[in-house]
Amino acid sequence: MFDHMLSILIFFPALAGMLGFIVSKESIRAYGITVSAIEFVLSLVLWYGYDPSVAGMQFMEQFALVPAFGINYLLGVDGISLFIIILASFFTLIGIASLTETRRVKDMIITLLFLQMTMVGVFAALDAILFYVFWELSLVPMLYIIGAWGGPLRIYASIKFFLYTFTGSLIMLVGMLFMAYFYFQATGQWSFSILEWYRLVLPENLQLWLFVAFFIGFAIKVPMFPFHTWLPYAHGQAPTIGSVILAAILLKMGTYAFVRFSLPLFPDASVFFMVPVAVLAIIMIIYTAMVAYAQEDIKQVVAYSSISHMGVIILGTFAMNVEGISGSVFLMIGHGVVSGALFLLVGVIYDRRHTKLMSEFGGLAQVMPRYATIFGIMVMASVGLPLTINFVGEFLSLLGFYSQSHMMTLLAGTAIIVGAIYMLSAYKKAFFGDVTKEENKTLKDVNKKELVALIPLVILAVWLGVYPKPVLTPINNSVESIVQLMHEKAITPEAKAAIPNPAETKIAMASVTEVEVDVEREAE
Amino acid sequence: MEMYLYIALFAPFVGSLFAALFGASPKTLWSGVVTSALLFASFVSSVTLFVYLLQGGEPIHTELMTWMATGNLYIPFGFVVDQVSATMMFVVTTVSTVVHVYAIGYMDHDKAFNRFFAWLSAFVFSMMILVMSDNFAGMFIGWEGVGLCSWALIGFWYHKESATWAANEAFIMNRIADLGMLIGIFLLYWHTGSLQYDVVFAAVPNLDTSIVTLMGIFLFVGAMGKSAQFPLHTWLADAMEGPTPVSALIHAATMVTAGVYLVVRANPLYSLIPEVGYFIAGLGAFVAMFAATMALVNRDIKRIIAYSTLSQLGYMFVAAGLGAYWVALFHLMAHAFFKALLFLGAGNVMHAMSDELDPFKMGGLYKVMKWTAILMILASVALAGIWPLAGFFSKDKILEVAFSSEHYIIWAVLWITAGLTAFYSFRLIMLTFFSGEERYKEHGFHPHEAYKFMLWAMAPLAVLAVIAGWFEQQFVHFVTELLPTFEFHTHHVEMMLIAVTSLMAIGGIVVAVLLYRNGLLNPKLQQTAVYKLLFNQYYIPKFYDEFFSKPYAELSKIFWKQVDLKVVDATVDFIATTIYKTGEGTHTMQNGNLSSMLRWMVIGTVGLLVLAVLYVKRYDILALMQMVFPGLGA
Repeated sequence: MFDHMLSILIFFPALAGMLGFIVSKESIRAYGITVSAIEFVLSLVLWYGYDPSVAGMQFMEQFALVPAFGINYLLGVDGISLFIIILASFFTLIGIASLTETRRVKDMIITLLFLQMTMVGVFAALDAILFYVFWELSLVPMLYIIGAWGGPLRIYASIKFFLYTFTGSLIMLVGMLFMAYFYFQATGQWSFSILEWYRLVLPENLQLWLFVAFFIGFAIKVPMFPFHTWLPYAHGQAPTIGSVILAAILLKMGTYAFVRFSLPLFPDASVFFMVPVAVLAIIMIIYTAMVAYAQEDIKQVVAYSSISHMGVIILGTFAMNVEGISGSVFLMIGHGVVSGALFLLVGVIYDRRHTKLMSEFGGLAQVMPRYATIFGIMVMASVGLPLTINFVGEFLSLLGFYSQSHMMTLLAGTAIIVGAIYMLSAYKKAFFGDVTKEENKTLKDVNKKELVALIPLVILAVWLGVYPKPVLTPINNSVESIVQLMHEKAITPEAKAAIPNPAETKIAMASVTEVEVDVEREAE
Repeated sequence: MEMYLYIALFAPFVGSLFAALFGASPKTLWSGVVTSALLFASFVSSVTLFVYLLQGGEPIHTELMTWMATGNLYIPFGFVVDQVSATMMFVVTTVSTVVHVYAIGYMDHDKAFNRFFAWLSAFVFSMMILVMSDNFAGMFIGWEGVGLCSWALIGFWYHKESATWAANEAFIMNRIADLGMLIGIFLLYWHTGSLQYDVVFAAVPNLDTSIVTLMGIFLFVGAMGKSAQFPLHTWLADAMEGPTPVSALIHAATMVTAGVYLVVRANPLYSLIPEVGYFIAGLGAFVAMFAATMALVNRDIKRIIAYSTLSQLGYMFVAAGLGAYWVALFHLMAHAFFKALLFLGAGNVMHAMSDELDPFKMGGLYKVMKWTAILMILASVALAGIWPLAGFFSKDKILEVAFSSEHYIIWAVLWITAGLTAFYSFRLIMLTFFSGEERYKEHGFHPHEAYKFMLWAMAPLAVLAVIAGWFEQQFVHFVTELLPTFEFHTHHVEMMLIAVTSLMAIGGIVVAVLLYRNGLLNPKLQQTAVYKLLFNQYYIPKFYDEFFSKPYAELSKIFWKQVDLKVVDATVDFIATTIYKTGEGTHTMQNGNLSSMLRWMVIGTVGLLVLAVLYVKRYDILALMQMVFPGLGA
């Protein structure tokens, strides 16, 4: 039954989207919800069928596309990609289910279904060319969503989004071609399979160049400082649904690619560039948090907060140890849930007031108590309060990076302070105080349709904060194997030292505990 | 016994959820009653556990489930009830239960009655997690949880700008300190491989002293935030914006003592680094006096008590810093009782005076609020440290600790502060309840005594404020099963020390009574520089505002408008427009006009030729020149 699971997950929404053209306008919503619900159930089936004790790829599928150059249709998931795929199908579902009155709703739903195909494709692809194809394809539906349903500056924003990320991706593509060429030189065979690339140990100077090529593509996508400026425009102009998908899933492509490509392919270069990357990440954390604090538009606050949180994810990734990388992968899920929810929440008030300026609100807690409560929970999750989803990821990421640098972790740790500053002051401006504007006095609280989207996110944010184990264990196992691989592949002594060997540290730690047990026994 | 542990822990949580169900609906008395009843259940369970340990039972250690596990990190939801946590549980549940019952009356007319109880019980739950966890990460859950509840309760009347401002200030300032604690936790993990108390404390003696020192410092930074130690103290006075029961429970009895609890809990770590301990003690003594001086002149009854709390926290840190962990815990307990009582009394006064807080507008309230006055005087006497009330035993011990460990400066500071404490406590009492004239009449107030059941609810605290000190011997015996004992070398001067301290306290009271017996002091005093300095809290809040808040906001604006839009984004756009403009500017080359295209072709050919020649002869340009223009000569 699981034979072609991933292919089904990728192409079912696209095929259903094509069929959508012949569905009548009245029933397109129901159709969209049904399709995305089936897709979501299928992704849950994938989780059900996934064996968490296996670290490697599962549900692999392969057939040759261009045998002469070793380009294959190669799919597979591990603990790192599994949950992002589930999250993608989950957000498509609640995105379609909570879709408000929209012009040309049919086009919107079909676009979303195509977007879903590309998202699942990116995270399931194990062939670099396949990955690249889905990566670039994902730009098109988003370009269309921003360009067709966006605000007044939509054309500028969408073109900027497209060209900027496209430029980055081209450099990444060059990197991929070189990588395949080096593989050819080393083995006499062409291959674009990431898994085969993993086995290739490159000399350090080549690693450095390739790392940079890949880095530019990923960094623009994340987006990392100073490549981030397309994001506020995109969020500012995109309709709610666009922002939700963009923040929750599309940005994760960049951070996911770091874990999938940069670290295991170029362990020495990763260690070499660890400090500069961490510095960028710290700038992202502090600088964008301050920019977020200065915003007047609540959606921009959430947009910049996204960038700030992505900084923590990057930092966790470059911690090079199991704790940090697991944390950063978990934070990808957490940030997806929380920022997606926050954009949905901003959409709720935008639908009612057609403005996003915080000065237009004030005292909303009195008029819309339920809305204020849900928003408050998400604010606290975003701030990273323990027992919410973001804390787990943030804590582990910072904990992991601490083994690399004390000072930099201290600086990056200010994330918990600056994050609280902009989030709480935004919440205060919008929700506290007296209701000063006449229009706000009669606002309706969240309705059922909005609750359908928001309640599951609230549950998720708390559930995975209290009990992250079902998600964290598979992530941990896959990350362990990646760190193991990096440790073995590393050639420079610095890299060997910086990347711990998970197998060894396990033993070392076990002996520490044994000693302690002895101490206890003696005490008795 | 595990069952009692879980009841004690989760009963407040259930209560909180119950009240939250009605969060947005109009007042239902049930939300107050059910949460109080559940808290009582939690109290009974805590007492059961306390008694169980008192009778020599083994500490209870259980694990509910895994929380985080990755790499080598393993963090469970684990709970431990030993002598220290049992004491804390007893204090927390006692005060909470009293405050819950009291609040049913106090919040009677509030629209958000249900929301209040939801948050109040949630706070107790977080506090229980804080004191019962068996690892540092679990403590951090409670640590942040109480921060959240404190935020929500300070800003409970969220339509007030001052309240929400104070709430955010408290949260953010605590977060600054929490970063310290987080770093401390990271240090612990990377050097001991675990966050469980037992594993960590077994491992720290084998570590390098410098590492342990760092751990101690960072963890203490966390404690400084929660316990509002200088320089992170300003939030506590502003937190008085919250409803008074909140001040009593959170900002006097429980949450602010979390920092002391942390140091007491981590005593195996702090015992290894006495230098850090001296620093803690020194800072504590400084804060004790610093806060007491601000309380001398303040004109807000709640803020006076808040400064007093700050000052008493300083005392606790002196004891903890000097290694007398049990004394710190003892004062923590005694202080919780009389300070909560004092706050609840202040709540009665506020209610009577329609939320007026300025004691200069009161005076002579004793006639209308006899019982409140008696309870508050009792609490103040206990606070001042007069025999035989609780404060006498606990505070005296701290002074003895300082004297015994030969820190005479600390002792002297604390000794003077004891006088100040007595003075400001009785200044408050005199101004509010006595001092001749009934100034409230001029301002048109019609005070009345609080509900009977509110007074009765306060009674247990009053009893404890009186008797808590009498059980010193039993307490020592009980907690030193876990905590190290402290060797006093002061037996020869013990009586003299007690006499000197008590004289100081009595002196403070007498001065206050004499000064204020006939009403206010000469208003000219308010023009003096010292008065202004103290009244403006040493200008520290102003300093923070001018040098941190405002520059942060300004800098944020600059980052956004100047850097992000005008530098980073403009660069991107510049590159894009340059490419675009180049295309725009050069597309006329291909306008299809034959003659212009030929012209460009010629230019291109010449250009290419020149390049080719330059490339071939790049080292020999002079020779080339001679070849082209032979007439030029050599």
